[in-house]
Amino acid sequence: MGAYARAGKRTCGVSRIVTIHGVRAVVRVERSKLAGQIKAQVVLAACVLGPFAFAAVIRLQSSLPEDTLFGRSVRQSGFAVPLVVLGFAALWALPVLTSVVGGDLFSAEDRYGTWTTLLTRSRSRGEFFVGKTLTALGFSLLAIIVLASSSIAAGTLVVGADPIVDLSGVLLAPAEALRRVVLAWASVLPPAFGFTGLAVLVSVVSRSSVAGIGLPVAIAMAMQLCALVDGPEPLRRSLITSAFGAWHGLWTEPHFYAPLVHGTIVSALYLVVCVVLACCVMQLRDIGR
Amino acid sequence: MQRIALEALGVSKRYGDREVLDRVDLVARSGVLHGLLGPNGAGKTTLMRVLLGLVRRSAGAIRLLGRDLDACDGRVPNGVAGFVETPAFYPYLSGRQNLALLVDLDEEQGSNPRHRVTEAIDQVGLGAEADTQVRNYSAGMRQCLGIAAALLRSPRLLFLDEPTSSLDPAAARHVRTLARRLADGGTAVVWSSHDMSEVEELCSTLTVVNHGRIAFEGSVERLRERAPAMLHLLHTSNDAAALSLASCRRSLKVWNAGDDGLEISADVDALDAYVIALASAGVAVRSLERRTRSLESLFLELTVIRPSEWERTPVQANEHAESVAS
Repeated sequence: MGAYARAGKRTCGVSRIVTIHGVRAVVRVERSKLAGQIKAQVVLAACVLGPFAFAAVIRLQSSLPEDTLFGRSVRQSGFAVPLVVLGFAALWALPVLTSVVGGDLFSAEDRYGTWTTLLTRSRSRGEFFVGKTLTALGFSLLAIIVLASSSIAAGTLVVGADPIVDLSGVLLAPAEALRRVVLAWASVLPPAFGFTGLAVLVSVVSRSSVAGIGLPVAIAMAMQLCALVDGPEPLRRSLITSAFGAWHGLWTEPHFYAPLVHGTIVSALYLVVCVVLACCVMQLRDIGR
Repeated sequence: MQRIALEALGVSKRYGDREVLDRVDLVARSGVLHGLLGPNGAGKTTLMRVLLGLVRRSAGAIRLLGRDLDACDGRVPNGVAGFVETPAFYPYLSGRQNLALLVDLDEEQGSNPRHRVTEAIDQVGLGAEADTQVRNYSAGMRQCLGIAAALLRSPRLLFLDEPTSSLDPAAARHVRTLARRLADGGTAVVWSSHDMSEVEELCSTLTVVNHGRIAFEGSVERLRERAPAMLHLLHTSNDAAALSLASCRRSLKVWNAGDDGLEISADVDALDAYVIALASAGVAVRSLERRTRSLESLFLELTVIRPSEWERTPVQANEHAESVAS
């Protein structure tokens, strides 16, 4: 009884054990749920069709998006299309894509009242948290891969896989251009994951899907406005949105990697801080009050 | 003596200054249907949440199937199942798909998951609607799906929070039969309800909770022994005088029931004497009707009066009941 009484003092109930088996089960369940939701299907369909629509419009209209990086080249080389799409997407589409699942994955359980149903099974809160966060990150990755692939396909099929002139005026062969396009898209993954972390945090704290999806997008826009005005340098350097433009350094001769490294570090910090905070809130909250 | 499946000792829960549960003890044994009874807001659901680890307790110790809840690392132990309030599911999936997801979240239990889902659906009689989206389910069907979800865990300790609240009489009877069958098979069933007659019919032991404290704990038989006289509703020409007359009589309790008149808890002899006394005092009895059976009377007595008042004399308690009613 002594040991039992002592155990009674430990009333926190925080789950400490996260097993791979448990996380896998949660990811499987989340994947099945996403497959059953029209929202995820619509987002992925938009990622597939959007670039083709963009390439078709560019081909049909007389003017070009000249104020955009590589905008002048969209009729000369299909490799300019994914870069223009990337430039547009970085403004607001990527924050939307990355928060559409992450911002809803936790709060949806509050909306449906299903936390009680889930947490009375054999999985811990920690496993649910890790599984759901991995699912959110996985969906962000999938959406970006689909958007990038579709953009490249749209450019090469609608315009053609021709050589492209980089930002230093060097003509790049199609194979090299493709390599750099892929790298450019890969460079937006860290900030995309950072936004996913932010969406997860907002979703866990607010328990509202509207806030979970909307707030990261609003924050992204506010950061972009902040970057436009001549604010203090430390503030500008701490903006995650600046990492979305770090790929420009890959299209110069020689390459400059400093913005890429800095953007990756800032993105990783956002991701880690947001996920740790969200995990603490999730572990300590009372369900159903 | 059956094995103890649930042992909760001194469980408290505080939200700020508000004490929702105050040193609650609850013991349920294998093979026994244990009623958790109390009026709305008594703390039953909070207690269930605490027992299932959904809500952190402020104090106390909990053992589920012999395992300390804190040693389970936030997981509900295998063999423990149940639901709190109305069971919730994903509305865009069918009942079967929902259960298939849940079975994936349980530890491996040997048999084919698909077969287990079908078996659970059949047990609660949802076979015809299993492939319908849950958004089209009635409240009763969701309740049944909740029970099916609990059955998937092959429960040895089952928590059911007002499981018949949304069911039609036939479905409610089916669920009661199912619970009894599970108990007969060795499962400890904790059945939360605010319906005394349901618990009386179904359970052999019970705990009555009121204002977050235990008002009674023991067998239904023991409760019957303590049961007072039946409850009657009285309409008089002068309720104030009738109340005043009652305050002199220790053999009965009378309190104001608002527009309904006066409620009397008394045995037949005391009631007869009171009615005669009313007439002698010039108070006309306009109607006298039986309101509840004796066990319900006791339940009302246990739950209308605050725990701190239980040890007072009937007259004092009566006065308190009046103030509560008014």
